[in-house]
Amino acid sequence: MININNLRFAWQKEPIISIDALSIEQGQHLFIEGPSGSGKSTLLNLLGGVITPQSGDVEILGQSLNQMSSSQKDSFRANHIGFIFQQFNLIPYLSVLENITLPCTFSPDRKQKALSHSGSLQKEAIRLLSALGINDTKLIQRSVNELSVGQQQRVAAARAMLGSPDIIIADEPTSALDNDHRQAFIKILFEECEKENITLIFVSHDATLKHHFSHHMNLQELNQVSNKEAL
Amino acid sequence: MAILSLAFKSLLNRKLTFFITLFSIAISVTLLLGVQTLKTETNSSFMKSISGTDLIIGSRGASSQLLLSSVFHIGNTPNTIKYSTYKKISQSPAVEWAVPISMGDSHKGYTVMATDLTFYDYFSFANKQHLSVERGAIDDDMFAVVIGSEVAEKLNYKIGDQVIVTHGGGEIEGHHHDNIPFYISAILAPSFTAIDQTLIISLEAMEAMHTDNHGHFGALPGEQILPSDNHQDHDAHQHHDEIAHEEHADHDAHQHHDEVDHEKHADHDAHQHHDEVAHEEHAEHSHQDTQDQRIARLLKIKPEKINAIFIGLTSPQAILGMQSYVNNYQAEPLSAIIPAVALQELWQFFSLAEVALNIVTAFVVLVGLLGMLSIILMSLNERRREMAILRSVGARPSHIFGLIIGEAGFVCFAGILLGVALLYLLLFTLQAPLASYYGFYLEINMLTSNDLFILAIIQLSALIIAFIPGWLIYKYSLSDGMSIKF
Ligand SMILES: Nc1ncnc2c1ncn2[C@@H]1O[C@H](COP(=O)(O)OP(=O)(O)OP(=O)(O)O)[C@@H](O)[C@H]1O
Ligand SMILES: [Mg+2]
Repeated sequence: MININNLRFAWQKEPIISIDALSIEQGQHLFIEGPSGSGKSTLLNLLGGVITPQSGDVEILGQSLNQMSSSQKDSFRANHIGFIFQQFNLIPYLSVLENITLPCTFSPDRKQKALSHSGSLQKEAIRLLSALGINDTKLIQRSVNELSVGQQQRVAAARAMLGSPDIIIADEPTSALDNDHRQAFIKILFEECEKENITLIFVSHDATLKHHFSHHMNLQELNQVSNKEAL
Repeated sequence: MAILSLAFKSLLNRKLTFFITLFSIAISVTLLLGVQTLKTETNSSFMKSISGTDLIIGSRGASSQLLLSSVFHIGNTPNTIKYSTYKKISQSPAVEWAVPISMGDSHKGYTVMATDLTFYDYFSFANKQHLSVERGAIDDDMFAVVIGSEVAEKLNYKIGDQVIVTHGGGEIEGHHHDNIPFYISAILAPSFTAIDQTLIISLEAMEAMHTDNHGHFGALPGEQILPSDNHQDHDAHQHHDEIAHEEHADHDAHQHHDEVDHEKHADHDAHQHHDEVAHEEHAEHSHQDTQDQRIARLLKIKPEKINAIFIGLTSPQAILGMQSYVNNYQAEPLSAIIPAVALQELWQFFSLAEVALNIVTAFVVLVGLLGMLSIILMSLNERRREMAILRSVGARPSHIFGLIIGEAGFVCFAGILLGVALLYLLLFTLQAPLASYYGFYLEINMLTSNDLFILAIIQLSALIIAFIPGWLIYKYSLSDGMSIKF
């Protein structure tokens, strides 16, 4: 469902990404590793259509990002992709509920899907949070600043999963968590993705998580830029 | 819409900077509108000084001088208009009414204006409003004085109080016409014109004071000085000795001697007339007439010369014709001014100050907006993360741009609302003190279309100024992508 062809990207003329071919299947759980600065986050930006490659193409769900206008890419991203970042995923001045439902303000599709699940956005948010192990329903009205880091990560995961996007992209989502929480977080994330048949692309430095995933990818090996540099 | 509510919440998250910006804009808006209001109000109160009078006639000279002296009671014009000229002009077919005005005396610094009773019928100000009496009643007695509201208030005068008029405008120098005391018959309601600071007497009384170079009427031959005169607890007393009486033996009054003798009976009529007036103080005073007053009553001399004539015409079309008729009047040099035009001309003198004030307030508003700009610019760096998050959930760069513009627009709009609220608060609190201490009636109106236009310009400039941070954050969000860097 995701196909990459001859993708080339450079930040200010300095090549970062050069991938000839990569394909990711629907429902696949892909683990991407690579040293810092190898271009993992840049690749995710390319997949999300936030930055445009100098050449080559990314095709998602049969649609070529190159063929889309930038606003089409933005709404495509809103409709089909959920993101989780390492830390500071949440907007500090919005409540937990507002943070979780944020994608719905940009994607009517995901709003529809979320509503079809639970009838209201609030109920869906509560459902996702309890699936992620947060059962305190009063918490959703609180400010996100009052949450622990682990809770914040799970709120971010709930946001990424709300309205069942086709793809969840996680960029080092667990690096702020201790080992126990990290394992629990991964487990819950997997369960949800399996249930909704969501494709998961997971970037991490943490090799201990690798064995959970069916597919692995080392960006440094795949990426010809870093290979050339290594040579 | 969603973006505007985000902008709003983001603002509330930064309350302190938000309120500082809000107040700096609000205060600059208040200042700007306040200056505008003050400008229009001073202008309108200036323009309201006289209305319904088609022409003011004075001796030939600068029109502004005539306006200042006749309407604002500032400065003096020579009283050279012959009373006969007044009579003649008032009989012109185009003239509906003509009111003679004579000035030159004062009372404790307030102008004393002599006119006749038609003044109250015809003089109007603001929107053709006539003078109204607050206490007492306007009286045709020769020595009745009608005082303006400020005179009554500042000098603490009541109906029936005695007033001595001084020659000349000064408060100290000048001759006291204390042989002819006036009593207060009416106190006028505030008009917020120069009339509030004026005492109005009859032309005959003015003439009585001035006859024979401020001398005093002698006793009429055969008349006894009434004991009551001597018992009067009055400054005038010392002037009523025999020397004064003899000095004035060949007084002008003697020319009228015969007539006066005949009119001795008329004296009674006059008194009867006064008794009829249902005015107790009045009646009381008429019994305390001084010698000079009794004589003056008998003589009832109209003045020979007056300062100005207020004229109402039968039709507005007649104004120009009448003006040139007066300006080319053969018998004596006269000039006629159209009050509305002369007021406008005089107002032009202030236009430079007006421009300066406008420039200063424009800069104050600019400073308020620049403050807002710098506060938004400072917030940008800490908000790059916020923008990256928004990008990741599907916000477009244009949304990010809109967030900043919306924020600036909201701050400015709230600032304008607060500023307008502050303005009205200020106007309502200042209205009473301004009226009572400065005699300046501040009329509180809705915002004019000009004010609204200025506010729209401010709002628009805020939005335009916000293009700078908006464009910066747009560029950041493009180059940062979804990468959260800190
Ligand atoms: N906005 C940007 N402008 C210019 N260069 C950038 C930008 N973002 C990243 N780069 C460069 O691209 C390269 C790859 O960065 P990227 O963030 O993709 O690395 P990464 O693999 O995600 O690293 P990490 O594991 O530390 O997150 C780096 O050398 C970085 O300097
Ligand atoms: Mg990274």
